[in-house]
Amino acid sequence: MQTALAILRIAERTALVTIFLAMVGLYFANVLVRTSGSAFASDLAWIEEAVRLMNVYLVFLALGLALERGRHVAVDTWRNSIAEATRLPLRRIIDAVGFVFAIYLVWIGYKMAGFVFGTGQRSPTLGLPMGWIYVAPTIGFALLALRYGLSFAGVVDRFEVKAVEP
Amino acid sequence: MILFALVIAAAVLLLVTGFEMFLVLGVPALMVKQFFYGALPDPVIVQKVVGGINHSTLLAIPFFILAAELMGDGQIARRLTDLMKALLGHRRGGIGYTVIGGSMAFGSVSGSAPATVAAMGRMVYPDMSAAGFRDKFSLGLIASSAETALLIPPSITLIIYGWMTGASVARLFVAGIAAGVVLGLVFAILVAIETRRSGIEAGERTSWRERLAAFRHAGWALGMPVIILGGIYSGAFTPTEAAAASVVYAIFVESVVFRTLTWQGLFAITERAALSTAVIFVLLALGGLLSYFITLAQVPNQILGFIDAVDAGPLVFLLVVNVAFLIAGMFIDPNSALLILVPPLYPVATAMGIDPIHFGMIVTLNISVGMITPPFGLDLFVASSTLGKPVITIISGIWPFVAANLVALAIITYVPPISTFLPNLVFG
Repeated sequence: MQTALAILRIAERTALVTIFLAMVGLYFANVLVRTSGSAFASDLAWIEEAVRLMNVYLVFLALGLALERGRHVAVDTWRNSIAEATRLPLRRIIDAVGFVFAIYLVWIGYKMAGFVFGTGQRSPTLGLPMGWIYVAPTIGFALLALRYGLSFAGVVDRFEVKAVEP
Repeated sequence: MILFALVIAAAVLLLVTGFEMFLVLGVPALMVKQFFYGALPDPVIVQKVVGGINHSTLLAIPFFILAAELMGDGQIARRLTDLMKALLGHRRGGIGYTVIGGSMAFGSVSGSAPATVAAMGRMVYPDMSAAGFRDKFSLGLIASSAETALLIPPSITLIIYGWMTGASVARLFVAGIAAGVVLGLVFAILVAIETRRSGIEAGERTSWRERLAAFRHAGWALGMPVIILGGIYSGAFTPTEAAAASVVYAIFVESVVFRTLTWQGLFAITERAALSTAVIFVLLALGGLLSYFITLAQVPNQILGFIDAVDAGPLVFLLVVNVAFLIAGMFIDPNSALLILVPPLYPVATAMGIDPIHFGMIVTLNISVGMITPPFGLDLFVASSTLGKPVITIISGIWPFVAANLVALAIITYVPPISTFLPNLVFG
């Protein structure tokens, strides 16, 4: 279990860093070519669209890891005192709600992706089937649901890890 | 009506019990969809969620975050602050002005107030104690000066506001300089008063030779604001292009010129920036969903109708806006505050003839005041954890700054030309 998780984390981290640096490289190349006034500029119109698509993947692929590291924003000022006062297992309730929410988005993301692939719609400059953009939230919310599930089951402790950097 | 109350109650409950903010935005949005717009096909939700972040303007955010992480970890931010110290440090109470100037300099390459608190806290706090400033004043100054980062470009808050309202990000950036300077001046007055009160002596005079050396030392670092601000204002770059260029420049300077950035360092920083990006964008995605339903439900029209009915003018409306954002800023992060309050209030503001850029300044300054307002302002906690001081100590010194902030807010709210003069001058 822990080994599988460790492999997943390495895959996620590598994907994030690769996508991010590629976005920087591509976008910067686009700027260079455009400002140089070169005739190539119109050939590179696909870069803008590609970088936007990569950004969508960057965001959704990072959701699960961000949860595990305690990075998502929450007003946690009263969380512990409310849990003590009401004697409710508040953390597990949050995990359960988060899990159901994420699974629901996986389900409708999957339906949406299937529907758009079915229409055969392609993107304007890349010529990529438009369904790909909806694959990102489907995978991303699945990774998020996994982390909520693991936290609910007590396999990872996402509440005690404090983000090191602000 | 009962269903609507149920949605609001659910949102408040999720918020105060410490659910992730994206759930606080997302779950009520799904409830509204089920209760009121059940006929809409479910996949519309995914379309709005992805559509909320698939936008060129927003690409500036990941790039600016990455650039800021690179510079904060490396030498660029430090050298810019050193330059401020050389220029301002010799005055009476100079180190206090250095905190303000340094925060603005750091803000001009970063865009995040908490990152600025952390950086200034590490770099200047020891010097303030050495100069004889009272501890609680120093802490208050560091926590509140960082707010200028929200206004001084590149500001992530302003990019998000621009994307939400369609206002030009370049114009917002120019206006942000003016508003940031007003805020800096108000804080400088507090430093001057404190200096007299505590009888702080002037430091040693910096010679012109030393100042020149500081400029040389900061040379490569100064290239950063030149690229970002010069690039945008000359019209050479869009804000997103300037952001991408600033990342490449930061990598080049930190690795080739200063030789402090390693491959491992780059990997770690990029990963951290990716997570920071995701944390903001998931809010944008689900906030986009929520604002779609706010628009469908014609909430702005209802607010306008109400304002007409009670016969309130723009001045009263702006006062209400100030109070609403101030309260929101005290409890939730700046981005969520924008996502929740701008969709219903912005159309009302434009209908009343308030300039979009001016409204952006009011909103941003308001949020930043919220960030230092006790008991829950985010910057108070960041300052507490980076400086290792109890939150209560920081709160004890923050009140004069909250008051000064409210003065700045009143000036910016009721003197529109401060926000609109510069953008009109630069862009016509």
